Amino acid sequence: MAFALMAFFMAPIAHSAQIKELKIGIGVDADTFNPQEQTTTLFQNMCDLIYDNLYYQDPKGNLHPRLLAGHTVSADGLTWTLNLQKGVKFSDGSAYNADVVKTTWDRILDPKMRVPLRFAVSMVKDCVKVDDYTVKLNLKYPFAPLDATLSMALAVPISPAALAKYGEDVRQHPVGAGPYVLSKWVKGDRIEMTRNENYWGKAPTVDKIIFKIIPEATTREAMLRTGEIDICYKPLPSNVASLKALKNITVEMPLDTRTIFMGLNCLKGATTDKRVRQAFNYAIDKKAIVDRILFNTAQPMDGPVSPMVFGYAKMDKQYDYDPKKAKAMLKEANFDFSKTIQMRTPNGRYLFDKQVSEVVQAQLQAIGVKVELRTYDWPTYVAGLLKPIEETELEVFLLGWGPLFLDADMALYGQFTTEVNPPKGLGSSFYTNPTYDALMKETRKEQDQGKRFELLKQASEIVWDDAPWIWLHVEKFVLAYSSKIKNLVVTPTEKFYPTYITME
Amino acid sequence: MINFVLKRLLSIIPVLLGISLLLFIMLRALPGDPAQVLAGQMASPADVEVIRVQMGLDKPIHIQYAIFLNQLVHLNLGVSARTQNPVIEEVWARLPNTILLALSAIILACAFGIPAGIIAAVRPYSWVDYLVTIASLIGISMPVFWLGIMLMIVFAINLQWLPAGGIGTWQHMVLPSVTLAAFVVAFIARMTRSSMLEVLSQDYVTTARSKGLKEKLIIVKHALKNALIPIITVVGLQFGLLLGGAVLTETVFAWPGIGRLIVDSILARDYAMIQGSILIFGLLYTLVNLVVDLIYALVDPRIRYE
Repeated sequence: MAFALMAFFMAPIAHSAQIKELKIGIGVDADTFNPQEQTTTLFQNMCDLIYDNLYYQDPKGNLHPRLLAGHTVSADGLTWTLNLQKGVKFSDGSAYNADVVKTTWDRILDPKMRVPLRFAVSMVKDCVKVDDYTVKLNLKYPFAPLDATLSMALAVPISPAALAKYGEDVRQHPVGAGPYVLSKWVKGDRIEMTRNENYWGKAPTVDKIIFKIIPEATTREAMLRTGEIDICYKPLPSNVASLKALKNITVEMPLDTRTIFMGLNCLKGATTDKRVRQAFNYAIDKKAIVDRILFNTAQPMDGPVSPMVFGYAKMDKQYDYDPKKAKAMLKEANFDFSKTIQMRTPNGRYLFDKQVSEVVQAQLQAIGVKVELRTYDWPTYVAGLLKPIEETELEVFLLGWGPLFLDADMALYGQFTTEVNPPKGLGSSFYTNPTYDALMKETRKEQDQGKRFELLKQASEIVWDDAPWIWLHVEKFVLAYSSKIKNLVVTPTEKFYPTYITME
Repeated sequence: MINFVLKRLLSIIPVLLGISLLLFIMLRALPGDPAQVLAGQMASPADVEVIRVQMGLDKPIHIQYAIFLNQLVHLNLGVSARTQNPVIEEVWARLPNTILLALSAIILACAFGIPAGIIAAVRPYSWVDYLVTIASLIGISMPVFWLGIMLMIVFAINLQWLPAGGIGTWQHMVLPSVTLAAFVVAFIARMTRSSMLEVLSQDYVTTARSKGLKEKLIIVKHALKNALIPIITVVGLQFGLLLGGAVLTETVFAWPGIGRLIVDSILARDYAMIQGSILIFGLLYTLVNLVVDLIYALVDPRIRYE
């Protein structure tokens, strides 16, 4: 009996022993492994494995110390003192200290360097070394969610020895302090990572991770089914149900931070009238779009941000599908039914983007609004989003916006404040509301999380009512994998961490 | 002969220049800003500008072309905007895969297409002929994408005989080669049939028959040899096209070749990469054409190049 019990307790340990190899099917090859340059979530995810993070944000939004042991903020919110983790070495043996962190910030803030996501840390003025394991970040203005911002791959240091050796070519030869080391990169075919034997934290359970590049989602699914890969990144929504039906495959789909919406131009054209914008919201059956077009790989929005981010609150007032009410509201607003509204959509950028736009078009037409829909490929589309109000042709346009960490700031500030109106930012709805702007400024100063939440909620209510968007849906991040895999961490920011998985 | 080859090789230069100029203008006529695509949706205009300057896109277009030509003269195809790696390295990493797939598909297609065409021509309007005609028709009309997925479902998922995608062993080559060959084999069979039919009605074949030569000998030695020229033309053209990368097949079977690279580069507006890979494709295509012309002379002694 005792023996059996012992065997029982030992079994899981034996099973969770080293896993030799894990194969992950992904859609595109990486471009750069310089974390400061990277803009694609999947490759930021890989950077996390190679470089680790300053803070790690878990799927619930809690921050855990990694390369940072902790921080303190001055009373005015303008000075952040960062305490570095001690005893950390890069995988090539070089030391991790305040100098390295300072160099990293100098590189991030250097206007000559290619740092596409610099806007996310635009509040940082400079970085000053205090002692070997302490640095200070001086801010231009208070920014309460800076700690969550520090969880981005953007802020993570590269080995100084590698920088000296490779220069900017370090993007092809990354060396970091993370749990994995890039060991092989066969262009267009696969990216291999092996365990970093010098990793300062808990040793990873997988010896080798192979990211196989399989552009076609159907093929990725097939290879998952045949066991050629263990994890399939973003299978097709239409096949989720059939994958779920298979016993040996687990499908996980947490709600994402990305919201999909129809932007409505608030400064030009028919949609300048708030009643028209609200009417459009009532005219669209978002539930039907989610059910029938997206195979439930999304959820209708019930607030201006994804439920996964801090600051989300479900709004009291909901725009439930009501075409009659919508039509009545348009009449009340003296809407000109003879005019044709121009609608634009990208094709292939977001899940079924074109089809979603077609449904919105049809439902607006159903209440008598004439709509012409035009489709563009992404590069063409994005160029049209950035034009200033004098030149813009935008009336109604589909877009997605996914905050890079679990805080509402990047969505509420980054889309709806006056200062992000194009061409300065990507708030292409040209929404301007001084009360809202003031409130959002307040949220950045407020260091008390409870009070900050209330402010974000107030701001949410204002923008929700003003309706600069047709609030459509929040996407889900779909990951399918072999049911043998347990403890895979999948996050709402479309990342996944196989570092400490176990296999049965 | 050597003079001819040299002349032809020299004539590649203006062809490539023409390609490069057209490509250069067409790419820049495409809407969309490469710097913006590279920087991502959220980047601030100032940071996009930094990238634009780094990529040299702030300069006037004729200066950009001059820079490009200058690089080209030094056998430098530039640097990919996406990966910041030399274009030649990126292409070189994928070219052997594309050539391998193209070769195996064309060999497979010839091995089935030519005999099928001959049989159909020898017994015109018989059931064999109809079978070949119908099979060719199906082969030409079947969408490559669909065929690939069907083969995958049957042989990889259900029977589990072959891997569904990727590269590595010879087994990985089977499905993509068959998929690609299905289209080409049809062309080759049709061409072989009509070319053979024409030759078989010639007087010298009748003469050979009346001499009492064996039918096998007549078909292989007298007829096929004379019917080969148009067949070689078709094979050469198809092979050239395959070298450009069979985008759909490469995509379906996760085959890391040039075709996929070109499509990804177009989507990212990676000018240098598109220019570089299309130029290399152009070069290969003209070289294949030259080789085809030389084979003509080998097959038909009447063809002489001076």
